[in-house]
Amino acid sequence: MSTLMHDVVVIGGGISGLMASIYLAGKGYKTALISRGDPVCCLSTGCIDVLSTALNPLDGFGDLSEMHPYHLVGKKGVEQACKLFKEIMSKSPIPYVGSIRKNREILTPIGTFKTTCLVPQTMAASLGCRDEYVHVISFTGIKDFYPSYITSRLSNTGFSLYDAGVSSTLAIAARFEEKGFAADFATWITGLELPPGKVALPAVLGVNNPVAIMEEISSRINREVFEIPTLPPSIPGLRLFRALKAAFQDLGGDVFWGMPISSVERHGHIIEAVTLATSARATRVQGKAFILATGSFVSGGLFATRDSVYETVFGIPVHVPGARKDWFWNDFFTAGHPIEEAGIEVDSSFRPKQTTLENLFVCGSILARSEVMKNHCGHGLALATGLKAAKVCERKLT
Amino acid sequence: MTFEHCVRCTICVENCPVYKVEPRFPGPKQSGPDAQRFRLDGEKSVDQWVKYCSQCRRCQIACPYGVDVAEIILKAQLKYGTEHISPFTAHLFANAYHLNALGSTFAPLANKAASFKAAKAVLNLLGISREPDLPEFRFFNMERGRRRKGKGRKVAFFYGCHLNFNRPDIGWKIRDMLVAMGCRVVMPRQTCCGLPALGNGDLDMAKKYAQKNASVLTSFINKGFDVLYACTSCGLTLIQDYPGILEAPGGKKIAENTYNVNEFLHSLLQDDKENRPLGRLEKRIAYHIPCHLRALGIGYPAAKIFEQIEGLECFVLDDNCCGLAGTYGFKKRNQDIAHKLGEIASIPIRALNADAVVADCGACRMQLGHYTGLSAMDPAEIIAEAMANSINNKKKSGHGIKRLFQKTPY
Repeated sequence: MSTLMHDVVVIGGGISGLMASIYLAGKGYKTALISRGDPVCCLSTGCIDVLSTALNPLDGFGDLSEMHPYHLVGKKGVEQACKLFKEIMSKSPIPYVGSIRKNREILTPIGTFKTTCLVPQTMAASLGCRDEYVHVISFTGIKDFYPSYITSRLSNTGFSLYDAGVSSTLAIAARFEEKGFAADFATWITGLELPPGKVALPAVLGVNNPVAIMEEISSRINREVFEIPTLPPSIPGLRLFRALKAAFQDLGGDVFWGMPISSVERHGHIIEAVTLATSARATRVQGKAFILATGSFVSGGLFATRDSVYETVFGIPVHVPGARKDWFWNDFFTAGHPIEEAGIEVDSSFRPKQTTLENLFVCGSILARSEVMKNHCGHGLALATGLKAAKVCERKLT
Repeated sequence: MTFEHCVRCTICVENCPVYKVEPRFPGPKQSGPDAQRFRLDGEKSVDQWVKYCSQCRRCQIACPYGVDVAEIILKAQLKYGTEHISPFTAHLFANAYHLNALGSTFAPLANKAASFKAAKAVLNLLGISREPDLPEFRFFNMERGRRRKGKGRKVAFFYGCHLNFNRPDIGWKIRDMLVAMGCRVVMPRQTCCGLPALGNGDLDMAKKYAQKNASVLTSFINKGFDVLYACTSCGLTLIQDYPGILEAPGGKKIAENTYNVNEFLHSLLQDDKENRPLGRLEKRIAYHIPCHLRALGIGYPAAKIFEQIEGLECFVLDDNCCGLAGTYGFKKRNQDIAHKLGEIASIPIRALNADAVVADCGACRMQLGHYTGLSAMDPAEIIAEAMANSINNKKKSGHGIKRLFQKTPY
């Protein structure tokens, strides 16, 4: 067995785990990030929802349940996390815009509007296009993006189809990264002689350098351009993940990708090491502190059997709302589904309650009572609790 | 996990290099778990497009649910291969070892011949791409070199075909570094790891190769040797496929006792920290992570060594596949795919303004050296250079080790 020594071992490579890792690696701690696979943020719109129930997300805190993890972070903590996030992203090819004190709306592929807080710069122009003319451009053969949903919902719109020679979002994105493709595309738009207004297109403006591509098109056609997030595979989600991962790696962080944790070594109240289930010889990752950011059910941090819900890495007790029959609602997507409350309960220093573990901190959507779908607070919660857990972990290390 | 565990989230699709440049390939989700529902024993395969998969295994690493996407596709490729007549290139590349051995034996002649336009045209007619540079053969290959050196910790070095026939200089550098760090290095008699045969749809031949290597390697392991590999694809085959699909006798034992050279060096360097074995090296490098290093799940050990080298600026790039994927990119059929992926992988490397591109895999080096125009180096070359710069090492003597610490060894 090979042993690798670290100061902190972060388990879970989603937004929350990455945020914690970036903070700690930036402070000079030897940090390892272990992830079973790519995080579900790759499937998201890439937008940071902080809390979509109020115009100012921070004002909405009062309406949250008393036990909501946001209260453990506090308004200031959430602001700090968003500020740090924007700072990290400003050094990446995809800066984020928006204010933590004001929610905004972006256009969705079905012509409705989604309330969110911070958005990638490629969606910055998506605000306030209810009255002005928006021309939607789609691509021949593209699946799951139908401009007629938008044109039928919004009155002042039109649409055109561009033949990129390929039809999947990822393939079109690769074409936009070819030399000269964006220029040809812009020339074609100019030829359409559109009425004044903005141009919208599905989020396909390349994976690596979308802002540069958007600006090139925008300057050539002399009008504002913005992206509309698509169904998965979601390129804005992929960009967000890759930018955060790169930021962590640039700080000298270690990543262990695609490997589940097969066993945990505990000594009294201390977790000493975890073992990665590689195909043969196990890799043992040792740390002074551990951060658990494995996410909820979809990400595999929680798993439900017929009669219980358990946490998949350490087997920490999970808070479950009532008996199993109470978890069932006819409509899973109805706001406030009880199962959304399931998760790990933590104390004010983000250590799991009902355990005596001293060097384990929990963050992200695995936290109990976060009710991400009801409150629309997914990425915001991940950032805020990730940073906070990293900070308390830092205190433990010094 | 089997195909039934797939929740169709498309994270694998986001990570597939081929899918974004080849519209005829429906992506890992559809050619893996989705199509698997319709594949029946005793029914002839019709999914010709499975052959577009380059087996980079990025999908499998990315899958959050642990579905063995690449393995499902590999099995479908093998099924297709046995049910249909394989093209000439598949037979040719499945035998890559013998092809290399022939090239190495007639090295000056073979290299000269391959440089002629006419020869490229003939190869093209046979189904070989014109695009990538063909690797140059070396007559004095590792098989012809010294097979034992040094004293101390016992290691058996599985150097693989690329170092053996094309870049023995790197192989010897690795050997001498290990010797300098106190190892007794033995080069066991070895043949191809079997991956080219597996990738070209010939399971039987791959098994034969695996059996040959397995019997040699297990005998070394029984004598207390650790097995080291330098090529990450050979390593992945030894560790994942020998105990897995190739069912090599003693496969599990091999997998448990096989280490990446840099992983091993890192631990040796860690133990020898007081002696400061690594000197200063002023360089800016782009470290391209080969897909199969990612798939090994050992992290990026060479990057950990680079961190300890003063003056070295290393940028880790692990989001792109170079596109060559072993013998895959040498086929005319995959020419465009390999070309486009090579271009895509080169963009971030060029943007770094690096002095060199570094990769553990010989195929990645060939491809990225070709597309970026930078010198493509193995991590071992960087580490050897840093070791040569260490004052403490210069005092070390010993037969042949001195050569490692000369400015221009080999």
